Amino acid sequence: MTEPLITLERVSRIYQTGRFEVRALDGIDLTVERGEFLAVVGPSGSGKSTLMHIVGCLDRPTAGRYLLDGTAVEELDDNGLAGVRSRSIGFVFQSYNLLPRTSALDNVAMALAYQGVGRRERLARASASLERLGLGDRMDHEPTELSGGQQQRVAIARALVTEPALLLADEPTGNLDTASGDDVMGILRDLHASGRTVILITHDADVAARADRQVHVRDGRLVA
Amino acid sequence: MSPLDLVRLAFARLRASRVRAALTMLGVIIGVGSVVALVAVGQGATRGITSQLEGLGTNLLTVNPGSFISSGTRGAAGSATNLTIDDAIALARIEGVAAVAPELTTQELVVAGTKNTTTSIVGSSADYSRVHNQTIWQGSFLTRPAADLALRTAVLGATTASDLGLGAEAVGTDISIGGIPFRVIGILQSKGGSGPFNQDDMIIVPLGAVKSHFVSGDSVRSIALSVATAAQMDRVKAAITTELKSRHGLGAADAPDFNVFDQAQLLTTVSSVTGLLTVLLAGIASISLIVGGIGIMNIMLVSVRERTREIGIRKAIGAKSRDILLQFLIEALVLSLVGGFTGILVGLGATAAIGAIAGWGFVFSPATLVVALAFSLAVGVIFGVWPARQAARLDPIAALRYG
Repeated sequence: MTEPLITLERVSRIYQTGRFEVRALDGIDLTVERGEFLAVVGPSGSGKSTLMHIVGCLDRPTAGRYLLDGTAVEELDDNGLAGVRSRSIGFVFQSYNLLPRTSALDNVAMALAYQGVGRRERLARASASLERLGLGDRMDHEPTELSGGQQQRVAIARALVTEPALLLADEPTGNLDTASGDDVMGILRDLHASGRTVILITHDADVAARADRQVHVRDGRLVA
Repeated sequence: MSPLDLVRLAFARLRASRVRAALTMLGVIIGVGSVVALVAVGQGATRGITSQLEGLGTNLLTVNPGSFISSGTRGAAGSATNLTIDDAIALARIEGVAAVAPELTTQELVVAGTKNTTTSIVGSSADYSRVHNQTIWQGSFLTRPAADLALRTAVLGATTASDLGLGAEAVGTDISIGGIPFRVIGILQSKGGSGPFNQDDMIIVPLGAVKSHFVSGDSVRSIALSVATAAQMDRVKAAITTELKSRHGLGAADAPDFNVFDQAQLLTTVSSVTGLLTVLLAGIASISLIVGGIGIMNIMLVSVRERTREIGIRKAIGAKSRDILLQFLIEALVLSLVGGFTGILVGLGATAAIGAIAGWGFVFSPATLVVALAFSLAVGVIFGVWPARQAARLDPIAALRYG
């Protein structure tokens, strides 16, 4: 069959703080197939955020191999990582991370600007993406004029506008009330249903339960 | 992101914080504006002074007496009275001397009809107009016979004529100078001078007339000479010195008891002084440009700090370090260039205003504008690079967690 989207082999991430070594990740092996909906579960300090940074190409492993969509990520320089983030990964953060004083449309279109897409096409694709998420009438609104749930949907629209191979959601419901949280989880499930690979990072067992597969992180290692 | 996108982004950013942008640009506006204005002032002053000096006469040499020494006390230069009419006649024979105008000046009350004024009465020769570049407006200048015979004829300067309420019709009428009637034979064209050295406020009469009516004795105040060509200046100057020394009974090694004053020398000195002044003014003004640049750097550093999270978001979404570097650099450039353009407008406005007040008109050189723009561009790059590098180097994970 086709090769997995993500292959982590004995991935470690060691931080050097003064004289002490902190092993945030300690020999992680993980494979994620295309089209999977995976939840990475763990309490704070477990190393799940570090795992997300490495899977999301915001950081490089200290040791081990990481293949994303056939690319050996650990060999890339900073520019290479930025390129992979731009083309292959869509981030959804707990705190939305939209640009302030910038309309929803421009927030979404910005992701395409870094791929060198022209302005006209950027705006067209951004508005299509916002409409898919039911925000067709909110495009000119700035983040402060939107509810938390709406902001998170703008963030999802931004993550999807580049058609990434992987959608990486870090506690996407953490700042939302139950109804909005359910709404966002519904969107993620729909995306998975339409064939997209989704990795969800959470400490919340209820949220994790909505994924197809769960892996648990404890002290920098995967536990059954 | 294309450069056009980044420029658009920078302008959107400036619109979003107008007051801050305006205050930041003010430093550059003042810097560029003062460079443009002060350089123009320097150039205008140079041009004004040069044209006034040239108006005094071309290839002009002036012989002034040395200082009068009495009981061992040296008087001011020019206080001696050892230049004579015979000296002037002797100098006229030197080869290369085209015209000689001995001058003897006195102040007299002049009355024409019901009006009066007190002005300089210059006694001189018929060559005076040639030596001093004077052109006649009405009537004629002193003729050789009139000068030789010391006829009571007078040529009025333009200011004097208007002070006395005399126009073209006054030629041929009589005025009273120091109580003695003189016939007005001509009125001079204005030279446009002003103040104490106004070349338009005087009356020129034959030297002999001044001698017989106002100042007795044989001496003259100074002797002005016109040299035929500029190339002969140095030789003629040396010949004058030799001739006058022998006439005054001085040996070749003795110090001369007179001064030969060279117009061209003065011009060179004046233009080098004004040139230096222009550079000095521009130098002082460019200090304010540097201060303006530091203002930009300061605000850009604050901006990088404030927008750390934005930088993190952009990087997470796929911005390369170079994209961030260019974004902040272009913002600094837009600040400095918009400030530069505004500064040029302010500077040109100031130039026009000063030129109108000082009377040398609107002097400006396109080179100044190019230099001013290049300077503000350089300020943007120099003071924008460091903050932009700070922004570009931020670690995306740390930047996302910031604030």
